[in-house]
Amino acid sequence: MANTVVIGAGLSGLVAAIRLARAGRGVTLLTKGIGGLPLSQGTVDILGYAPDRVETPIQASASMPEAHPYRVLGPAAIAAGVAYVQELLGDRLVGSPERNVLLPTAVGSLRPTCLVPTSMTAGVVTGGIRYVLVGFRQLKDFYPLLCAGNLERQTTPDGQPIHARGIILDMPAVEDMADSNAIGYARSLDNPAYRIKLAAVIKPMLEDGEVVGFPAMVGEHDASAHRHLEQLLDHPVFEVPLPPPGVPGMRLNALLTGLAKEAGVRIVAGARVVTFESDGDRILSVGQATAGRIRQYAADTFVYAPGGFESGALNMDSYGTVTETLFDLPLHGLGPDLITAGEPADQALFRVGVGVDKEMRVVDPAGNAPYSNLYAAGGILAGAIRWSEKSGDGIALASAVTAADSILKGA
Amino acid sequence: MFEPDTYEHDLLNRASLDHCVKCTICETQCPVAAVTPLFSGPKYVGPQAERFRHGESVDHSLDYCSSCGICTHVCPQGVHIAELNSVARSAMKADHMPLRDQLISRTTLMGMTMTPLAPVANAVLRFKPALVAVEKVVGIHRNAAMPTAHVQTLVGWLRSRTAPKNPAPRGKLIFFHGCAQNYFEVETGIKTIEVLEHLGFEVIVPKQGCCGLPLQSNGIFDTARSWVRKLVAQLREAPQDLTIISCSTSCGGMLKHEANEILGVKDADLLEVGGRMRDVCEFLLEMYDNGDLDTSDWLPNELTVPYHAPCQLRGQNIGTPAVQLLELVPGLTVVESGAYCCGIAGTYGLKKEKYDIAMKVGKPVFDKVVAINEGVAACDSETCRWQIEQATSVPTVHPIAFIHQAMGLSKLPVSTGG
Ligand SMILES: Cc1cc2nc3c(=O)[nH]c(=O)nc-3n(C[C@H](O)[C@H](O)[C@H](O)COP(=O)(O)OP(=O)(O)OC[C@H]3O[C@@H](n4cnc5c(N)ncnc54)[C@H](O)[C@@H]3O)c2cc1C
Ligand code: SF4
Ligand code: SF4
Ligand code: SF4
Repeated sequence: MANTVVIGAGLSGLVAAIRLARAGRGVTLLTKGIGGLPLSQGTVDILGYAPDRVETPIQASASMPEAHPYRVLGPAAIAAGVAYVQELLGDRLVGSPERNVLLPTAVGSLRPTCLVPTSMTAGVVTGGIRYVLVGFRQLKDFYPLLCAGNLERQTTPDGQPIHARGIILDMPAVEDMADSNAIGYARSLDNPAYRIKLAAVIKPMLEDGEVVGFPAMVGEHDASAHRHLEQLLDHPVFEVPLPPPGVPGMRLNALLTGLAKEAGVRIVAGARVVTFESDGDRILSVGQATAGRIRQYAADTFVYAPGGFESGALNMDSYGTVTETLFDLPLHGLGPDLITAGEPADQALFRVGVGVDKEMRVVDPAGNAPYSNLYAAGGILAGAIRWSEKSGDGIALASAVTAADSILKGA
Repeated sequence: MFEPDTYEHDLLNRASLDHCVKCTICETQCPVAAVTPLFSGPKYVGPQAERFRHGESVDHSLDYCSSCGICTHVCPQGVHIAELNSVARSAMKADHMPLRDQLISRTTLMGMTMTPLAPVANAVLRFKPALVAVEKVVGIHRNAAMPTAHVQTLVGWLRSRTAPKNPAPRGKLIFFHGCAQNYFEVETGIKTIEVLEHLGFEVIVPKQGCCGLPLQSNGIFDTARSWVRKLVAQLREAPQDLTIISCSTSCGGMLKHEANEILGVKDADLLEVGGRMRDVCEFLLEMYDNGDLDTSDWLPNELTVPYHAPCQLRGQNIGTPAVQLLELVPGLTVVESGAYCCGIAGTYGLKKEKYDIAMKVGKPVFDKVVAINEGVAACDSETCRWQIEQATSVPTVHPIAFIHQAMGLSKLPVSTGG
């Protein structure tokens, strides 16, 4: 059977693996650990800032600099990537790639994003909306009064008012717990009895027409928890993403990992891929540092989806030399002044990465492929500052689907 | 407190903890923290508390860590959280090791004393008043999943059977039985050997003692080191170019990585033996991937089997080979437990102060097994099998039992472990 090894279990690795396996390929997914999804907000960002706030992300992607992954991919590939994750997750992700929405963050700013989990849709900013934010004395990651105060000070993009107030409950996730975290609450909220108890406390505090914002922890596994809480309160309810661990991202991770297994992907987790063998033109196998030995996995094609600096796939040493740590691939975006005194999150260093052609095959800056069967996807790609642009999810999806399709076409 | 220049000292001195970016992914996956507020979770007791320890432990909730290793497994940054915690726990308990932890750590002793007296031992282990007494005196919970002792050891079986005379076209393998297969899981050992012989291997079984894992997981490091070194020497008495097969995830894992990563035994001999060690399902699946395992004459088995991938197997970073292997049996449907840990974690769930936690940890596994099973469940680890059987009353066997059966070496339905 034709087979592919995918390296990395973030959004891009999981999606590429599922698409290949569903098309009948033998897929082995090698990964050190869980990918970045649990650290995300659980929404799908395509493009939020370019550098001004973006309303129509696919359209705006064409205005990115030439070296940006979106320019290599093109609007059709972005749309295909987004459509695929919607196909995979069905009605759990709502929205259109043609239009961004604004959602309140935990500190009450307004964040542009594109696809939104069902549990967050009620929070989308609209003119005259009246939020009530619910916090817990035992939860240190969410301050409803701060959130509400900041929301009150803003207006919708077309200048309409936003109303918000906060309430603080004294209710631990588990009895007698002094300090509860979002996961603890999410696990308690998986239990209908806890939801009923919680709703009984809140309901008398609500006013007509209010939309109720909870920290994002309305159930870890029980997909019906959100709907149930809305019914109990008889008010629309939405989740506000918190700092990690982020429950909405964990849910996405669990769903996609489950789909990968169902599709027959062999997931081998827990160890880094540390070596590879090649015949000069093709990668023949990669070696994962399993317990006691390096295990070689041979395949005819390889998708490299290891993330960027944040997961150790890219490294900068104390002399300022940047390398890709597994294949020692040629990097794009190198130059002087990679780090300057400017905005810390917007350094040129973060645009350094691996270059690809339209097929997502890895190429050097001159456009030549060092290995004819090596494809790259996601955070490793050069040219984007994903967190400032809010483009990481869209890049991951579009590149994963494109890489998978190139392999399936036998490119 | 550990002396400078020892492995523990180095590890406690932050070998990997600075890699922690506080992403909290480990916290979300720790099965113990999920069920009890007594344990604050891997990041807190690991890379975080470690900064305050200075060789001594400041945080006694550490003892609630089951050493299942899931945190290390899921950490995207390569922090050796579980290893750090094991070493810190050993330091914490160095001066007041409970008698119980010393007793259940000496598996060969338990095995040797139990074997000749098996019928008596089993009767005692199933007799409530005796168990209540055991709980009072040594702190092993009265309902804990204890192994069943057998009248015959694997070594005894090897001695009494007539070894196959047919040629072994595929060459030789070494079988590492550990204490588990020798004393408590004799049938799993027999089936593994028979499957390998059926495939055309000659199976060599050198004399071998205990790897010392239970000592290690209870923090008794010095004795554990001397035991594992002795075992390595024994295994190296057989030809040194042969692959070594284990059907015990715990014993195999000890030699593959735990002796090195937790006990800090860096002997070249150990690393060499660890590099030759294969879990039996890992080995068979690799044969299949290489086109060397012919499954065309495997007998069908129309059955849905709940399967639990034990944390000890995950820690070996080889995926879940049993799933793919069992799916090669015509008609067999495998449903994964979907949970990381059954709660027993070696000897953790035997202890009276941990028993309730262990049962809560394992609940998702037990619920799945009860819901899915059609009379039998599968799991690669012996201690987990005892735990699952104890909690669900569903007979739970090593995956090799289904392969044995598919090869026509035993009859349907699977006989219940052994
Ligand atoms: C602080 C921060 C904030 C961000 N905020 C946003 C945002 O608001 N919006 C947005 O759209 N994007 C954001 N991003 C970017 C976004 O997180 C990534 O673009 C996206 O998650 C990329 O996913 P991925 O699949 O490429 O990689 P990751 O999710 O990083 O996954 C990489 C995987 O590869 C594995 N791995 C790496 N190397 C190896 C190896 N050698 N062997 C085996 N496995 C390996 C890792 O264990 C991991 O599983 C942010 C990123 C950071 C760092
Ligand atoms: S998963 Fe690893 S990096 Fe993340 S908090 Fe835990 S130890 Fe730190
Ligand atoms: S080893 Fe297991 S129980 Fe211990 S901290 Fe890690 S995940 Fe939790
Ligand atoms: S891990 Fe294996 S060899 Fe080691 S004590 Fe257990 S049963 Fe014995």
